[in-house]
Amino acid sequence: MTRRVAIVGIAQTRLETEKPDQILDEVIFEAASKALADAGIGREEVDSITIAAADQIDGRPISSMLEACPAGAYLKDEIKTTEEGSYAAILASLRIMSGVFDSALVVSWSKCSEVPVTRVSNYGAEPFFHRPFGLNYITTTGFMVNAYRAKYGLPEMAAAKVVVKNRGNALNNPLACYQTPVSTEEVLSSRIVAWPVRAMDMAPLCDGACALVLASEERARGMVQPPVWIQGMGWATETYYLGERDLSRLTSLEVAARRAYAMAGVTNPLRELDVAEIHDIADYHELMAYEALGLCPWGQAARLMEEGVTEMGGRLPVNPSGGALSGSPFFATGLVRLAEAALQVRGDAGRRQVKGAKRALAHGSYGFCGQGNSVFILGE
Amino acid sequence: MPRNVAIVGTGQTKYTTARNEETYEELIHQAARIALEDAELTLKDIDAVVISQAPEALFGIDHPERWVVGAAGAIGKPVMRVHTGGATGGSAAQAGFFHVASGLFDTVLVVGAEKQGDTPDAQLVLNRIMEPRYELPFGLNAISMTSFQAVRHMHKYGTTQEQLALVAVRSRRNALNNPYAHIRANHTVADVMKSRMLCWPLKLLDCPPRSSGSCAIVMASEERAKGMGKPVAWVRGVGATSTTYYMGDKLSGLPFNEHGDWDELALAAQHAYKQAGITKPGDEIHVAEIYAPFTICEVAAKEALGFCEKGQACPLEEKGWWDIDGHLPTNPSGGALASNPIAVTGLARVAEAALQVMGKAGQRQVDGAGTAVATAIGGTLQFHTVMVVSNRL
Amino acid sequence: MAEELVFIPGRWDITYNYAAGKVSSKFFAELRDNKRLMGIKCSRCGRVMMPPRGFCERCFAPAGEWVEVGPEGTIQAFTITVEKFEGNPDPPFAVAYVQLDGADTAMLNYVRGLDFSDLNRAAESLRVGTRVRVVYKEQRAGEVTDFEYELV
Repeated sequence: MTRRVAIVGIAQTRLETEKPDQILDEVIFEAASKALADAGIGREEVDSITIAAADQIDGRPISSMLEACPAGAYLKDEIKTTEEGSYAAILASLRIMSGVFDSALVVSWSKCSEVPVTRVSNYGAEPFFHRPFGLNYITTTGFMVNAYRAKYGLPEMAAAKVVVKNRGNALNNPLACYQTPVSTEEVLSSRIVAWPVRAMDMAPLCDGACALVLASEERARGMVQPPVWIQGMGWATETYYLGERDLSRLTSLEVAARRAYAMAGVTNPLRELDVAEIHDIADYHELMAYEALGLCPWGQAARLMEEGVTEMGGRLPVNPSGGALSGSPFFATGLVRLAEAALQVRGDAGRRQVKGAKRALAHGSYGFCGQGNSVFILGE
Repeated sequence: MPRNVAIVGTGQTKYTTARNEETYEELIHQAARIALEDAELTLKDIDAVVISQAPEALFGIDHPERWVVGAAGAIGKPVMRVHTGGATGGSAAQAGFFHVASGLFDTVLVVGAEKQGDTPDAQLVLNRIMEPRYELPFGLNAISMTSFQAVRHMHKYGTTQEQLALVAVRSRRNALNNPYAHIRANHTVADVMKSRMLCWPLKLLDCPPRSSGSCAIVMASEERAKGMGKPVAWVRGVGATSTTYYMGDKLSGLPFNEHGDWDELALAAQHAYKQAGITKPGDEIHVAEIYAPFTICEVAAKEALGFCEKGQACPLEEKGWWDIDGHLPTNPSGGALASNPIAVTGLARVAEAALQVMGKAGQRQVDGAGTAVATAIGGTLQFHTVMVVSNRL
Repeated sequence: MAEELVFIPGRWDITYNYAAGKVSSKFFAELRDNKRLMGIKCSRCGRVMMPPRGFCERCFAPAGEWVEVGPEGTIQAFTITVEKFEGNPDPPFAVAYVQLDGADTAMLNYVRGLDFSDLNRAAESLRVGTRVRVVYKEQRAGEVTDFEYELV
């Protein structure tokens, strides 16, 4: 039997297009401090620190040299992963499950206003066979959508409705970067950036940080916040070579979800989950995630969207926070999804609360065409 | 209590300045395959993969771990990269340990590669790690920031440049017995002393080579390891400590506030020793693989690891205490002074420590090595990892 | 046929605009406009941090009041770079961590006016404990290189 892990502290900074008054260290410190305050403990009471960050996004090789201590690492056992924000929570959980640690501060961040993210993303293409062709996380989304379209038809209206839904939900989220509604007409008339992907299909980047406090079952007992249990956790990665993948589906997400569901005992996600926070790198990612997560059959995401199943008030509201489409602190976005899902289970999601939410799914994703994915199942 | 975890296979490839015959991806694959063969396992047996990858700016591919998923045999599997600067290899081995110890996985591959031969600008990259507002303009790099440590140690303990040279001489002499090592040489103290000054007081031969190469280890649960019917290296303790970036905050001479001492490493070691039940490290540890890219680092590390009193590592060096036939052999592999493939230098220390307790270290084998310690160091000498491995549980 | 190894040229060209934030912006403005070096106190432990930062990572508490430090201080660590490294100033040059009077931590800068013809003698002149003073440049841009150290 593995040890159970709970989320006992949750914090995010406000997501903003830029934060010129704070250096990155200070944004991180704000999130970490607030998470500790939410958990009702001091830094000295945490015995491990796990962070997720990306050097080129932070503007320095080995960015944790400067950012580990703002995340609480001074004289602590600290480790860093570089997949994306939610992987810090995965590694922190493994560290607690091992029995070596009883608690963890988990932090991730991005200050996208200071860095050309798409250029950095292009440097993620290896220089021999991929880099010269203008690949980045946006242009490769075009491949994905075209592959999906060839198989199932282009769900352009459904995609636009995802944006409208998420931006509408963000009106209830005081932390969201964009708190203004949009219409399908606006989305469908926004400029095409990588055919057929339009500017408003992509999550707009912003600045912000997110932090969680995790604890073992024993440690979670008696803490000020009711524990939100990590009931299931799965992550998986596909090959890098896009030419070898079935780009019409998010295969590694399907694998990750299967693992998380098995661990949590979920057999019918649409029925057994109350809310989901999905990493909507683009609206199309959210649609394709519906299928990989088993919320609907392959090719049926548009119908699920049209039927309003994932709207607030639907059977399984997706992204009541507004999702990444309402502001994405790029590398930290997966951890923000986990934080939002945890708030839902704790009943602390304010005006964006899904009534009676007991079980939530959180999803993190990275890489070209959703190469790697993580899934968490949270419960009371 | 943590689930018991063993290292059941290791794989290294030749460390040299530039590995121009292989891509990064191919280097990863080589080490992974060698480690799997050593463990007598196949890819199917691997449940999850940890990628050991330090700053990718050293060879210019952002998030290279995404590229090498297939090379690491990880398609469709859980993959996670760990990056703690120079300490990356030590941290990756610990991440592998946590994967298995968590109970979620039985067999995990930890693999990484360094391709810094692909840039002539390694020290430029290691200049850009500095704080951009206050410290970037001062021409700091890995060498000069370590010079500060040497200056402090010399100031506090009267350590001399000649004493530091002895560390370089022993390390590269040991490397003559290690077929993977980059610099294998019978240098003299005079050779080190007359090598050209880079950043006073560190001279060329006080410093590591720029190496490329790859390394992997396979870690398994107790049940899986015991079923293999062969010597394995049990992970008996893990510890890590981070401290401030700001070297200027650590110049007071007080505990944890002295750049010349590594009290943070001592703290990490205490955690690992406690798990391993070690109370007299200088006697109970039979061999140490210390990530010491610069001569001064090994001196400070041995004092922090409790192998001797502070200020005594150099006088003991003069007596042959750390030689391969001495009281506590350190870096029989030659260590980082012989080969420094940054992304995997720390992982190679773990692999070498494991080889020693498995009795598989070949010509560099230390007689009677039952318990070994491996360390790693990163950042402004601010990230420390310690792992204790043993031939028994 | 001899096997040929191909090399693909590459260069990373990434522009960053590091926001200096409120705290550092004030430090740089004081340096540029008033030729003053300002440290900042931790609101909890009271240590005076140089260079100034928005919070104390040890106490995990915000920084508090500003304190003027210097203009003299003590070398706590130094090095003389003799080798030419890509992107570095031309060698030789000396940098030192100096604990300015009134500060609890040491701040990095160049030490000017040294004779490097005998390296060991130059190193001896910089040994830990040596006193230095701050010298401000005539033209100041609001950057850390607006000042430097010289031996007292």
